[in-house]
Amino acid sequence: MKRLLLICSILLLLVALIFSCGGDSNIAKVQFWSFGGMPTMMKWAKERVETFNQQHDSIKVIQGQKSWNMIRELLYTNFSAGTGPNVMRVHANYAAEFGEAGYFYPINRFPDFDSVKAWYQPNLLESCRYKDNYYGLPGTAIAFILACNKEMFDKEGLKPPKTWSEFRAAAKQLTKDIDGDGSIDQWGLVLLGGDRGGFSYRLAPFIYKAGGTFLSDDLNNVTFNNPTSIKALQLFVDMFQKDKSITPGFLAYTMSEINDLFCSNKVAMRIEGPWINCVVQDRSPGKEFYTVPIPVPDDRINQYDTAPTLQDMIMISISAHSKYLNEAWEFAKYLRNNEADMEWIRQDMGGFPTTLNAINSTEEKPFPDFDVFAHELQYAKPWPAHPKMISIVRNVIAPYCQKAIIGELSAEQAWEKAAKEAQDIIED
Amino acid sequence: MKKSLPYILLAPALIFTIFVLVYPLLQNLINSFRDVSLIESSDGWVGLKNYLKVLQDDVFWLSFKNTALYSVLGTVLSLSFGLGIALLLNMKIGKINNVYKFLFTIPWVVSPVVAGFAWKWILNDNFGLINYWLISLGIINEGITWLGSAGTALICVIVARVWQFFPFAMVMFFAGLQTIPREQYEAAEVDGASTLSKFLHITLPNLSSVTSVLLLLGMIWSFNDFNMVFVMTRGGPINASMVLPVLVREYSFVHFDLGKGSALSILTFAILISLSFVYLKILHKKEQI
Repeated sequence: MKRLLLICSILLLLVALIFSCGGDSNIAKVQFWSFGGMPTMMKWAKERVETFNQQHDSIKVIQGQKSWNMIRELLYTNFSAGTGPNVMRVHANYAAEFGEAGYFYPINRFPDFDSVKAWYQPNLLESCRYKDNYYGLPGTAIAFILACNKEMFDKEGLKPPKTWSEFRAAAKQLTKDIDGDGSIDQWGLVLLGGDRGGFSYRLAPFIYKAGGTFLSDDLNNVTFNNPTSIKALQLFVDMFQKDKSITPGFLAYTMSEINDLFCSNKVAMRIEGPWINCVVQDRSPGKEFYTVPIPVPDDRINQYDTAPTLQDMIMISISAHSKYLNEAWEFAKYLRNNEADMEWIRQDMGGFPTTLNAINSTEEKPFPDFDVFAHELQYAKPWPAHPKMISIVRNVIAPYCQKAIIGELSAEQAWEKAAKEAQDIIED
Repeated sequence: MKKSLPYILLAPALIFTIFVLVYPLLQNLINSFRDVSLIESSDGWVGLKNYLKVLQDDVFWLSFKNTALYSVLGTVLSLSFGLGIALLLNMKIGKINNVYKFLFTIPWVVSPVVAGFAWKWILNDNFGLINYWLISLGIINEGITWLGSAGTALICVIVARVWQFFPFAMVMFFAGLQTIPREQYEAAEVDGASTLSKFLHITLPNLSSVTSVLLLLGMIWSFNDFNMVFVMTRGGPINASMVLPVLVREYSFVHFDLGKGSALSILTFAILISLSFVYLKILHKKEQI
């Protein structure tokens, strides 16, 4: 009896194994990895995947939600092992790095690319280009802006700053001892120091607004060790060291700490992107703030409306090693077509639409501060499209500039050292 | 058949060990002599270049110093604290002892990641409990930036490490204390020995084997500890609390230089093996004496 039971169990196991391995060979299984994103966006993406699957009998998209902080680690390790997603939502500035490495498929090779290209605002699509190839469809556009805590600004009778002098003065005025115990408990500005990439992304808009650059046009030379960048960095050095208007513990802060400080009226200003409303409302529903362009140097006030901020972009890319290139392309288009993008103006998904159809739509746009982001995105500039740029941004620019802000190096020394190291990386 | 049976039974475990331990270790050793990058094409064998790159990196030396401090201070303080608590618990002051034993073991059973996040919030400069208490007691006027300042970040992770490791030391010492014969204390009392004298001449010598094991384990575990530092500071601010395991990750998965990362992990392995060897030698000599 016992033996019979054992044989039956083994047979059952084998049958189950055969059926589970078989599957339906006619169905193309497309792995879609989404990194980070606001809850509304994740919900929307999930629904979009479901409707796509319902409409396509021969394609099955399987969605995986991954950590925003682990994009490069996960993609590099998976790609180098020959695994990973077919379609993914990643930073557009990865086009250069992953395109150069041969991991992303140049989507301009698809025959209908030219017609698809026409959907998007041209400068946004350009952010997905590296050399002569496009490595993704624009997913979410990001322009870095200044968020000013309305309650704190109104209480002080301040208007959001337009120039660096106004910015510094406002931060100084907003830095004070509120409870009268003799120590400062409210600050003008908070910086994201605990995330090296995030820190550089918040410093770069000031450099761009001042007319600075990071690399030469041919991408062969570092150009950020110049008076413009020094001036921009010096602004933060002075605010931290002289005015004490930047939170003293900023080097340890991640997004959650910054959000807590801003929402609890301990900090008046932060430099963010279009996710700001989502994260603030999630923490403190009803909290109001002003969304304004990053201030410009005083002598460039006449360019306040046109000076570029940092542009970032989330794009939908396809793995070059995907077994199902055409199916992946079908899904990528479905995710980013005109109809899909309209949803990005109907609800706040923490990002800005990228199609001309949605941006120029006359439909009411409940997306908060739509006009500010739309305006800034017209002029915004991305990081230079160099394969080593992300490494330089995270591993060189951030640590040296942080050292300058806390006084370990002068602003000039920081940029000089960073430039030397970055140039070595470029020439390596 | 009888002779080969043990080998056959051991084979699966041996194969598994080779697969998960020996193979990665060998592969890591090979990688440390090769130019292995996840981003760019590999240049093949590079000899000792990766090791030289590591040794020429200032951050490595800073991390080495931090790791040594983290391990030595973390272990010594954990053991001292653990011994102190174990001695108190050994005084048998009633049933309340069991409650304390349970409470003191909590830090040990908490996951290092959870503990790291908890400490991160406890030490938060604006909303943290520590600053709140210090300000309430009038000890400080304004919140200290515990994790955001180069001077305090490493101390904070060491404190968190001690908090997590001392219960293990306490349990071990407590078990060791139970094995010391009462007669030794009674004889010492007859001879008029003081409490300190009894502690130095009876308790400590009897606990020497437990202490040795704890020192060795504590040093090895602290030297290899990644979780606590990574969760609390990620090695920051500006590398002030960078330790070797976190730096291995930096090299391998931030700079994507697997060759350099492998070289550093082999160096760390060599340091640990040497330390353990020297320590065991000293111990062996002591035992012979």
